Amino acid sequence: MHFVTGGYFNGKRNWVKENYTADQWISAYNNEALIEDDSLFSGSTVVLEGLEQWTKNLSEKMVLDEARVYLSRIFDRWLQWEKEDACRRLIIIGTDISKGIVPMEKEDRNWRDLTGWVYQDLVTRCSRVDIIWYGLPQTIKGGDNK
Amino acid sequence: MAPAEIIFVTGGVRSGKSTFAEHLAKAKALEIGGKLHYIAAGMPTDEEMKERIQKHQWDRRKSGYRWQTWEQPTNIATLAPFFTEKDVILLDCLTTLLTNELFSAKENADEKELYNRILTGIGEIAKSSHQLVIVSNEVLLDFFPDSALVRKYCRLIGKLHQKIVSISAQAYAVEAGIPLLKKGAAS
Repeated sequence: MHFVTGGYFNGKRNWVKENYTADQWISAYNNEALIEDDSLFSGSTVVLEGLEQWTKNLSEKMVLDEARVYLSRIFDRWLQWEKEDACRRLIIIGTDISKGIVPMEKEDRNWRDLTGWVYQDLVTRCSRVDIIWYGLPQTIKGGDNK
Repeated sequence: MAPAEIIFVTGGVRSGKSTFAEHLAKAKALEIGGKLHYIAAGMPTDEEMKERIQKHQWDRRKSGYRWQTWEQPTNIATLAPFFTEKDVILLDCLTTLLTNELFSAKENADEKELYNRILTGIGEIAKSSHQLVIVSNEVLLDFFPDSALVRKYCRLIGKLHQKIVSISAQAYAVEAGIPLLKKGAAS
C-alpha cells in the first residue's frame, strides 16, 4: 500500500494520476463510502481518495478508540487483498489536517485526533509513503521497490 | 535577455523565511555586483503590522546592504519597467499579495483571472531582472476551511505555489530557521 499525504491544494491527486494508471478511483469527495469489503475492489490499481473525510464520518459515529481499531481491521483487509496478487496496488490519499490551531469544537478535535492516529496506523502497513509539497514528492518511507 | 532565475521560499509564521530569502538575495547581488530591491506587499493596517514591517525594515538596514523598497500591495507587474538585469528582487510575501488582490477585486472575481494576474506579475518581473526571490507562507496544513472565501483563497494559493515551484530553479521550506532544499541545487 502506498500512502500519499500533504496539505490540501498541494497537488496530491495530480501526482497520483501522473504516477499511476488507476483501474478504480474511489473518492470521499464524491461522497463515495469507505470500502470495508475488499470484494468491492475492481482491477489491480485502486486509488482511495480522501481518507480524512472517512475518518470524519467515523469520528462522528464512534468512540475514538473504537474507530481506530475498526479502521485498523479494514487496513489489514486492504493489505491482505493487495498481497493476494502481485499486480495489485492500493494507493490511499489523505490530507494532512494536523498542523493548524487547536480547533474550538470538540467534534473537530476528535476528528483531528483520530485522523492523526489512523495515519500512523496506516503508515505502519504501507510499503511506501510520500508527502506532496506543491507537486513535489518527498518519499518518507520505502520507495526502492514498487 | 533570459528571464531571471526564480527562487521560492516558504515556511510557517516566524520561521525565519524572510531572513533566509534576504540572505539569498544579498549573496546574489554581491556575486553580480547588482542592486537589491524589496517589494513589500504588506500594508500597515494596524499597530502590530506596523511594528512587524518596521522590524523587517530595521533588519534590512542593519545588514549593511542597501535595499530599495517598493510598496506595492497589488498589481506588481507595474514595477517591471523599473528593473534591469543588474537587479535582484525580493517579493515578500505572496500570501499578502494574494489577500490584497482578492480584496481589491470585485466580489465575484474570477479565480482564473486573479491567478493569471499574479503569475503575469511574477513573469514580468522575472523577465526584467536578474533574480527574483519569492517569499510565501505555509497555510494549507490546517482544517479545510468552512468559509467559501477562505476556500477560494486556499485553492488559489495552492495553485500558485504549485506553479511557482514548477518554474523555480530552487524551492525551499524553512523550518525554525533551517532552510530545507526541496528543489534544485543549493547555491
